[in-house]
Amino acid sequence: MTVSAALLLLSLTAVVRCAADPRSSESTRPRGVGPEFAKFYKSPTEFSCISSPLHKIPISQLNDDYCDCPDGSDEPGTSACSHISLLSPNTSSVNPLTDNITLALPGFYCKNKGHIPSYVPFNSVNDGKCDHTHCCDGSDEWQHVGGTTCPDKCKEIGKEWRKKDDVRKKALGLAMKRKKELVAEAANLRHLAMSRVDELEIKLKSAEEKLKETEKVLEETEKSEKSKMVRGGVGKAGRAGILAGLAKARIEELRTNLVEVRKQRDALSGQLKELETTLSALKEEYNPNFNDEGAKRAVRAWEDYAARDKQGVWEAAKDRDLDEISKPDDESNGINWVEWESGDDSTTGEAESILYGLSAYAPPSLRVWLDSKITSFRTLLIESGILADNSGSSSSVESPAVTTARSKRDSAKTSLTNTQSDLNNAKSDLERDYGADDVFRALKDKCITKDSGEYIYELCFLGSTKQKPKKGGGDTNMGNFVSIASEYVDSDVDAEGKGLGVGERVVLKYENGQHCWNGPTRSTVVLLACSAQEEIWRISESEKCVYRMEVGTAAVCEPDDGKETKRTAEKDEL
Amino acid sequence: MACFRTRPAGWFSIILFISLFTLFCHPAGSVKHKDFKTCEQSGFCTRNRRLADSVTAQGDPYLSPYHIDPRTLKVTNGQLEAIVTKTTLTKETFTFPLLISFLDSGVARVTLNEDKRQRGQIDLRHGSTARKERYNGAAAWALTGDGLKTNANIKVATDEQGFSKVAYGPDNRYEATIRHNPFGIEFRKDGQKRVKLNDRGFLNMEHWRPKIEKPQVEGQDAQAPLTSLEEDEGTWWDETFNGNTDSKPRGPESMAMDITLFGYEHVYGLAEHASPLSLKQTRGGEGSYDQPYRMFNSDVFEYDLDSPMTLYGSIPFMQAHQKGCTTGIFWLNGAETWVDVTKSKSTANSLTMGLGGHVDTQTHWMSESGLLDVFVMMASEPADLSRLYGELTGYSQLPQSFAIGYHQSRWNYVSDEDVKDVDRKFDKHDIPYDVIWLDLEWTNGKRWFQWDEHSFPDPISMNKQLDESHRKLVILTDPHIKSEGGYNIDDELKSQNLAVKNKNGNDYDGWCWPGSSHWIDSFSPAARTWWKSLFPYDKFKGTMSNVWLWNDMNEPSVFGGPDMTMPRDNLHHDKWEHRDLHNIYGLTFHNATYHALLERKKGEILRPFVLTRSFYAGSQRLGAMWTGDNLAEWSHLQASIPMTLNQGVSGFPFAGADVGGFFGNPSKELQTRWYQAGAFYPFFRAHAHIDTRRREPYLLGEPYTPIMAQAIKLRYQLLPAWYTAFHEASVDGSPIVRAQYYVHPSDEKGFAVDDQFYVGSTGLLVKPVTAEGSTNVDIYLAPDGENYYDYFDYTIHAGVGKTVQIDAPLEKIPLLMQGGHIIPRKDRPRRSSGLMKWDPYTLIVVLGKDGKAKGSLYVDDGETFDFQQGAFIHRQFVFEPEDGLRSVDLAARKGPKTADYLKVMKDVRVERIIVVNAPGSWEGQQSVRVVEEGAKSGSTNAPLSWHAGGDGKAAWAVIRDPRVGIGRDWRIVFS
Repeated sequence: MTVSAALLLLSLTAVVRCAADPRSSESTRPRGVGPEFAKFYKSPTEFSCISSPLHKIPISQLNDDYCDCPDGSDEPGTSACSHISLLSPNTSSVNPLTDNITLALPGFYCKNKGHIPSYVPFNSVNDGKCDHTHCCDGSDEWQHVGGTTCPDKCKEIGKEWRKKDDVRKKALGLAMKRKKELVAEAANLRHLAMSRVDELEIKLKSAEEKLKETEKVLEETEKSEKSKMVRGGVGKAGRAGILAGLAKARIEELRTNLVEVRKQRDALSGQLKELETTLSALKEEYNPNFNDEGAKRAVRAWEDYAARDKQGVWEAAKDRDLDEISKPDDESNGINWVEWESGDDSTTGEAESILYGLSAYAPPSLRVWLDSKITSFRTLLIESGILADNSGSSSSVESPAVTTARSKRDSAKTSLTNTQSDLNNAKSDLERDYGADDVFRALKDKCITKDSGEYIYELCFLGSTKQKPKKGGGDTNMGNFVSIASEYVDSDVDAEGKGLGVGERVVLKYENGQHCWNGPTRSTVVLLACSAQEEIWRISESEKCVYRMEVGTAAVCEPDDGKETKRTAEKDEL
Repeated sequence: MACFRTRPAGWFSIILFISLFTLFCHPAGSVKHKDFKTCEQSGFCTRNRRLADSVTAQGDPYLSPYHIDPRTLKVTNGQLEAIVTKTTLTKETFTFPLLISFLDSGVARVTLNEDKRQRGQIDLRHGSTARKERYNGAAAWALTGDGLKTNANIKVATDEQGFSKVAYGPDNRYEATIRHNPFGIEFRKDGQKRVKLNDRGFLNMEHWRPKIEKPQVEGQDAQAPLTSLEEDEGTWWDETFNGNTDSKPRGPESMAMDITLFGYEHVYGLAEHASPLSLKQTRGGEGSYDQPYRMFNSDVFEYDLDSPMTLYGSIPFMQAHQKGCTTGIFWLNGAETWVDVTKSKSTANSLTMGLGGHVDTQTHWMSESGLLDVFVMMASEPADLSRLYGELTGYSQLPQSFAIGYHQSRWNYVSDEDVKDVDRKFDKHDIPYDVIWLDLEWTNGKRWFQWDEHSFPDPISMNKQLDESHRKLVILTDPHIKSEGGYNIDDELKSQNLAVKNKNGNDYDGWCWPGSSHWIDSFSPAARTWWKSLFPYDKFKGTMSNVWLWNDMNEPSVFGGPDMTMPRDNLHHDKWEHRDLHNIYGLTFHNATYHALLERKKGEILRPFVLTRSFYAGSQRLGAMWTGDNLAEWSHLQASIPMTLNQGVSGFPFAGADVGGFFGNPSKELQTRWYQAGAFYPFFRAHAHIDTRRREPYLLGEPYTPIMAQAIKLRYQLLPAWYTAFHEASVDGSPIVRAQYYVHPSDEKGFAVDDQFYVGSTGLLVKPVTAEGSTNVDIYLAPDGENYYDYFDYTIHAGVGKTVQIDAPLEKIPLLMQGGHIIPRKDRPRRSSGLMKWDPYTLIVVLGKDGKAKGSLYVDDGETFDFQQGAFIHRQFVFEPEDGLRSVDLAARKGPKTADYLKVMKDVRVERIIVVNAPGSWEGQQSVRVVEEGAKSGSTNAPLSWHAGGDGKAAWAVIRDPRVGIGRDWRIVFS
């Protein structure tokens, strides 16, 4: 990390330095020194260690295969200082500086004429291996230890590289084209979303008005129907009695069935317990070392099952309730049907009957006036909460006009709520992070899959990730999309251009998938790199139930060379 | 699971713990005890323990029914022959030919056979076609044939009282007193009583007898009670365990004997057990086991710790050590063997030369069948014993140098691309490694020799990528062969009649990875020849010269078989029953693979690398072993150290445990500490179960990855010292990592120390941190008068027979250098050991109290057998205050390839010499004089810089680039 960071830094300074440095210095540079460091190696008599210039050594000790400088700068062309690293065992004699042990140089500089100059790590110098990937000119093995000879392959490697680079650039062109399409599509989708918001806002306004209207109608209808209802009188005596009879029979039937179902439930839970015991025993006693896929799958499924929150767990209290419910009704328990079957409705509405009864004694001319006054007085009482409103609840009879008005009001209400939530969704969708240029809008819910041995893996952009077993069994949710982030990666790109490369990459995070036994909920990190087509390159389980998908998509392509991995290419601009 | 390992304090928590355990804790992380026999479930173990109990109860060992008929005594050419007669309670007599061989080396070998069986005068039950003799083939596998020359100059005197005395060994300083009635032998060296055979009268040779069917008395179900003269036949015949019945066609055939080791409180050896180095008592007494140490090679995954339970391999060799002398017992038997260990304290008034009280160790060895064949070795110190044992069974293989680098394994790297990726990542993260491993998933449906074409379409390109960095691939291949028509390997095995047979003589069919399987009978020469024919590169496609082998499951492991292995009445080559040679099977398969790898390509002879899980005495000649399927728990990290040390004591030192733990996921701290410990296992391999998450060292991140990388690089830095230690093991049998008692044989306080150890003869003393959260360790320093110096900063610790505490934060490995040693290193960390071949050396000269130091270095090409023809460098470095530092040639004889090798190595030099505890008189001195053999210019100067140390640290000096060749004589003069 330290080295590669230094490398990066140096390549930047190199760009600056290159322009200023006279080309001529190259020929006089000691072995392994890159042009950007030439200035430190100019004295013909002595050398000052780069990080500690007070430490001077005679020029004869430069590149003499013995490490003198604490920062290794006296051995740019050998491996003598390759132990200088935080990763190496520290011993006081070899690493006198126990803190901050870093090499001053990025590595051994290979000129690679005909290709791109590059650095190889010092531990690769004169070790008997030709590191042509970084040092195509073979200069890393200048000592020819054990008879090693590394031919200069820069011509062919450079040619090959340029050929590949052309292909890569072409592919990048295609990918960029596709990205443009995606961005355009995304813009279009955004536009559509925006107009939908406008649409919904208008719709919302009209829904609000409609609701107001229907509410008014309902109110009026109710008022007028309530007064009518008074004259219509209340229901006939004995009708409730018949209903009670029916209800009793129905309840008896339900009670019998409840008892029956409970019996079945108890039998089944007994069987379930037996099965669970069997499966627990299987889990305890199976031999994981045998790696019997069948047994392991069964155990894993059992573990998932055991980990899940159980629905419908019966508690004793609930069962006691059921016991009560299952008892036949009588005076002390449940409903006293006798009361209901024999009685009539006269006990109800006594106060009102007195009121209405009063008017019956008035002369007919007065009666209409009285009735209207009483009705409005009753309405007043109901509205002020003094008198119960029997018109809607207690009576099973409601006038069709009120019902219609209410249902109209209700549907207007629903429509308003729906419109409101549609609008909210549409608005939040507009505010949601769809990445730069809103590009993932174009890929939303697009799904791609990859066949990987035992499973097929599925990625739905901004949706969820899934593992689908080939040998049967349900899909496993590996996480639901939560956010877009980024991560620095350092990995390879294969000949076909598949791979993450080096640099900051867009990451889609999927979380809260299916729960893992003894572990977290499953989650997936989806790392994206440029490719013309949406394609899953690689899936790995970096930790238990934490998946990593490397995915190619044009959505993340950058016009510049955004994914070149090779160290050589980093030096492209040198 | 972690829960059953925790140790809550207090009764309440114990009760809670137990109830929690019963409720929730599925013992997925513990051994399946019911799969493996206890002594009580083993007929012959029960019989012999019962006999021991009854003899002890009678209180008179002289009732032992075995005696020598003096008329049969015969001495010829260093061997004493006689007939031992057993008289039963019913006055029947049985005869057992006795042969005692007195070897030139001072080792005595006592062999007892059974007359009737030897002559084949017995009847087998169930129509068995098995051999009738007691198995006599163990020696052919375990012994090399060396060291067996008998001493013709022995002096034998038989007296009237019925004793024969034999003086033997070098200078006749060894003495065996053979008592005729009852039979017993006492061994002395230099007049001191050390060992007695049949001391307690437990000798038991179960003679052959026919089974007499008892008439069933009608209406009477129960058998009549035994009369006093009858024996309990209950366990003599067919024996059933876990639903498998052993037909035992030869009936009871066990043999057992007690061996007392006088004055020895500590005994070691009997690999392989997860138990302390100093063996515990197995009967009676608080803190002792209730089972004997069992040796019956078994696939015991997730094994128990601190247990005498059997494991994957068996070496029936025991070392007993006391101040001033060491004694070894080698019980050469391939059948199931149990050993009871008890210790008895003698009081001061005993007759032992008026000394105070001392402890004797009493052992009781019980084997199911075969000859009684026991070697008694008396030596002065452990190193002598290692040499004697190695002389008989062979020394440790000198492996290729890559084999002692770091091995990266897991079950499984899933594809050739995966392997290439891991390979690149190691380089990317600047972590060296030498070998990457493929567990069984490389195969096409568990068919050996066939790659999974889907996941490994191009193994050669994978091998080539590895080879570019001189790295190797190791693939797993087991002795079970998938039983399947059309699978050429199985077809050949069957058609050429090379498989292990069942008791009826048909190919034995059992269950293992591939399902129904057959087992190669590697006892058969024809089978071994056939096995060889499968490995040539043109036959075994996808392999090349950097591909090596791993033999797993060779106990042999049979899923669902009795004791997880094959039935004891199975038949092998020459009609021997499996019971007779069970413990040797693993060695024969390992041996077959070793020899097959020698003949893969004409003209290419590289030292084979084969890892084995199962082993027997002699397996050390063939490769490395590891301690099997451990757990990712701190306790297993702890246990790995005594286990590895015990492998050294048992003569098979190329050993290590799975770094990180096989089952389960280690915490990052545990994994890091395990790498620091593993860097000091002779065999340094990280491995993990298929259900664990990935844990390659580069995945852990800060601060763990750099710390693990440092540990691995420390291993690579010290490879020259390690290789030298391996070489020592290969020529004198000494352990590669050595226990405290081994290095300081006269310091009694260190005899039971088994959590710290030395690397070879380098004086490097390491004490791995094996406890969670520890930031310091107590390290025991022997009272040797030397100072011990911290490896990293030269802090001084004095050796005074006490423990000293040293800091060990996570990034630090507690590692000390004992004064008086010279340690060779290579300080340039490369990507693999192969790429360090031409690097210069650094010598660390750690001056002792007397101002002197000594050390050695062995170097060869690390690949071929050319060293056998002199292609090696063997140097001794000696520092003396007057003479300075000298490099002296230790190669006694030049071979035909010596000169060429020295020429190849002529540019490899010493680049740096560091002197720790450097004399203050060097302060201000600017240079030293360097004199090299054959140098034209006489002498040259090299710069010297002296540093004061201080603050508890030793002064040190560095000599800059003396430019002396590693293969040449030279001298550095300091004054």
